[in-house]
Amino acid sequence: MKRGELLGSLEHIVLLALARLDGSAHGMIVRREIEDRTGRNISIGAVYATLERLEAKGYVSSFTGEPTPERGGRAKRLFRVEAAGKRALQVSEETIRSMSAGLKSRWEGI
Amino acid sequence: MKRNSPPAFACWLLESVIPVPYREAMLGDLIEEYTLRAESASPFTASRWFWSQAWRSVPSMMWSWLRRDWLISVSIAIGVYIVMGTLKLAADLAISKFVAPRPMTEVVLAPVVFLATTSISGCMAARIRPGATIFLALMAMITVAVSIVLKVCTIPVPWWYQFGFLTLGPLSVLLTPAVFRNEQTRVLTDRQP
Repeated sequence: MKRGELLGSLEHIVLLALARLDGSAHGMIVRREIEDRTGRNISIGAVYATLERLEAKGYVSSFTGEPTPERGGRAKRLFRVEAAGKRALQVSEETIRSMSAGLKSRWEGI
Repeated sequence: MKRNSPPAFACWLLESVIPVPYREAMLGDLIEEYTLRAESASPFTASRWFWSQAWRSVPSMMWSWLRRDWLISVSIAIGVYIVMGTLKLAADLAISKFVAPRPMTEVVLAPVVFLATTSISGCMAARIRPGATIFLALMAMITVAVSIVLKVCTIPVPWWYQFGFLTLGPLSVLLTPAVFRNEQTRVLTDRQP
């Protein structure tokens, strides 16, 4: 991850969802995980567009699974977090933690 | 629509806008989820969910197309736009030479010529690079908007006539390639790693 390059909010969420789903997961599972945990009903298109961006940055990799009848004979594309993606998550988490340090006490009165 | 099969038009719409590398996977995900929802709830609820996913996914997918090597897509769109202009000019000249230049004839033939040129150009752009069609559609829309503002058409026409040019032109650029897409080529391209 380049210095100063932070993950976008959706990139961060998608990457976290993928990290939570041990091993690898396909787009719809990622979408469901985000919906279950955050209540955000995001579109599958937004998930795939984000995964495509993350793959172009080298944070995730993908491979094609076997086609199944319940998918209309279409193959799954499974994504997994790469080492660069884990590093990017750590950097993002550290940045957010250091930026939000000390703010909690100020927010308590709000 | 067959029982437990997703809405065909929504599938077609998505197939037209999803970039090739993710087309099969994304549609497969949607079909799988649709089947589960149709079994657990009802086909109507599942169809409604499918449609909402389709509509909400289109902007993300189009944005994805635009971001992908946008400079190349813009260059191709400009090239095809010049061809489109030349075709339109040639057709207009042919009409003025061979058809009597009466206002009514012009009003009837203008949309036919316009839609034919935008459709052909859309197919050309899509064949070279699918993402270029979005830029070409935008260019067509801007051209029509400028023509309306500058009152290029001297014949008095109703607002819906001009509105038709403004909407159907860009739509024909975007949708004609999807209608005439060669099914076999598409399936083969999809299966590439």
